[in-house]
Amino acid sequence: MAKTMLIELEQVNKTYNRGKANEVRALRDVDLRVAVGEMVCLKGPSGSGKSTLLAIIGCVFPPSSGRAAIAGRQLARLPDRFLTIHRRETIGFIFQRFNLLPALSVLDNITLPLLPLGVPPKECRRRARVLLERLGIVHRENFPAGRISGGELQRVAIARALINNQPLILADEPTAHLDSRLSHEFMAIMAELKAAGKTIIITSHDPLVAEHPAIDRVVEVHDGRVGDTAPEDHA
Amino acid sequence: MNRALAKQLNLVDFALSSLWRRRWKNGAVLLVFAGVIFLISSFHLVTTALTATTQRVLAPAPDIVIQKMTAGRQESIPLAYQEKLTGLFGIKKVVPRIWGYYFDEVREANFTVIGVDPEQMPLAEHLGQVLARGHFPAAPANAAAPEAEIAPAALGSLVSEALELEHGAFFSLFRPDLSLKTLQVSGLFRPESDLLTADLIALHIGEARDLFQVPAGLATDLCVYVYNPAEINNLARRIAEALPDSRVLTREQVARTYQAVFGWRSGFAAVCLLAALAAFAILAWDKASGLSPEERREVAVLKIVGWETPDILALRSWEALLVAGFAFLLGLLLAYIHVVYFAAGLFRPVMVGWSVIHPHFTLIPQLEAQDVLLLFSLTVLPYLAATVIPTWRCASVPAEDALSG
Repeated sequence: MAKTMLIELEQVNKTYNRGKANEVRALRDVDLRVAVGEMVCLKGPSGSGKSTLLAIIGCVFPPSSGRAAIAGRQLARLPDRFLTIHRRETIGFIFQRFNLLPALSVLDNITLPLLPLGVPPKECRRRARVLLERLGIVHRENFPAGRISGGELQRVAIARALINNQPLILADEPTAHLDSRLSHEFMAIMAELKAAGKTIIITSHDPLVAEHPAIDRVVEVHDGRVGDTAPEDHA
Repeated sequence: MNRALAKQLNLVDFALSSLWRRRWKNGAVLLVFAGVIFLISSFHLVTTALTATTQRVLAPAPDIVIQKMTAGRQESIPLAYQEKLTGLFGIKKVVPRIWGYYFDEVREANFTVIGVDPEQMPLAEHLGQVLARGHFPAAPANAAAPEAEIAPAALGSLVSEALELEHGAFFSLFRPDLSLKTLQVSGLFRPESDLLTADLIALHIGEARDLFQVPAGLATDLCVYVYNPAEINNLARRIAEALPDSRVLTREQVARTYQAVFGWRSGFAAVCLLAALAAFAILAWDKASGLSPEERREVAVLKIVGWETPDILALRSWEALLVAGFAFLLGLLLAYIHVVYFAAGLFRPVMVGWSVIHPHFTLIPQLEAQDVLLLFSLTVLPYLAATVIPTWRCASVPAEDALSG
């Protein structure tokens, strides 16, 4: 049976500062297809273009040329406002440095994406507590995010990415600042999410991520071009 | 609950917690803002209160006052001038008045002494209304020899305070020949009329003539009352033509003079305060445009978790509105208390001038919706603009800024 594709990139190019002296071609003719429920690792050295690729998949900005469709929506045709709405409804982000607001409580950080959606405060708290329990940090809900450990911060970031039940999770170098134990814990949570039907894209240099059994395939990114993209090619 | 309303409630809730997180910074802005609004509101309230008080107090004043001028200076007016006016149609009554200043050497203060004949005045009932106690001085029983009697006098509040006189008390004033004239307090003016009566000693015209030794047949000025108020200006013009050596003042002109004085002083102060407001707006602009790295990062994080630019603008608008709205109410409330309960102590010297005797009168500010709206427009709206516009610039940063963190 044919798999349903969540991400479809065809001949995607991204050029920064086009026509200027400092023009940079970050992506060149990229083709990438990711099916629903797949977990993919984007691997490559710094400056290879993997963060730009993740940003296009994350609907942060459209490509300079080529066709990019995320969850059935053509990004090039979406005005900025709808790009934001599409991102909000479809994608949960986990950042390298977590990007939490340290002065806010754990609970408030997690519910942040729900506030502009008009979800009532009670419902926000209920959803956040379900996730905190699932991730084992419900006892930290009222702690300021600036006063919890690195592992707990990672879980809060994951909870925030999941609060709106988005089908696609993007993680940018999520283990770069974690020790090996926490990195293992992180990948274990990702494996659980994959099992629950989420599609996950992770950028990483970390072999622990690329070689994790839950990863379906590794996509190499070099000088703005992608290499191994066929799911069946990944052993 | 409606989703849009729930969204706004969420934003207000987040704005409040955000303000609390930066409570010292926001508290300082709130205090400075409340201070600026307090100053502007106080001036505005004092000006409107003074104008209203003047209009109320001048209500029973004569429609027209005639003064004789010689070489540009006022001098006593012959009572014979009354006859020259008898031919003018529309005049109800012409009443002479004697007034002048009495210098009290002990207290080094000037009192205003005024003498009228209340029985001749068409609006005599108003005189009773401005008295808190007692009655207005009546004609002496022996009008031919007033110097032989004890003269009744109505005193303004500062005079009774300065001379330590209660109702019914006796006191004496010197005539120009240094003989003493004995008076008895027959009435005390209401504090509400202090603006015009605080330093006043009101006597019957005969007693005032005796005190100042004004020759018979002369008075300080003539008060004219007319039948039709709409004809006041017309009659004033005709009086000026009939008495070319006279200065003719209408009640409206006197009121306008007061208003012009208060308005000028208020305007002068307002210019100074607007400069303070402008400085505050620059401060607010600087605060909003010079967002700290933490604030910029917060905006980037909000964008990356799905907040749209209008959501962030709405959040910052709520924050600004909460600060500015609270500061506005606080400033306005403090101004009202300052004006009503502390008689605008901070600005009294600017607004009412300095004199040997400071008139202390009760100000009753009239806070009207249009005044509140004007103050709101002058203070809160510039602050909102100064906060929201730079935030809009900041909120337009690309969301990928957060990704690179």
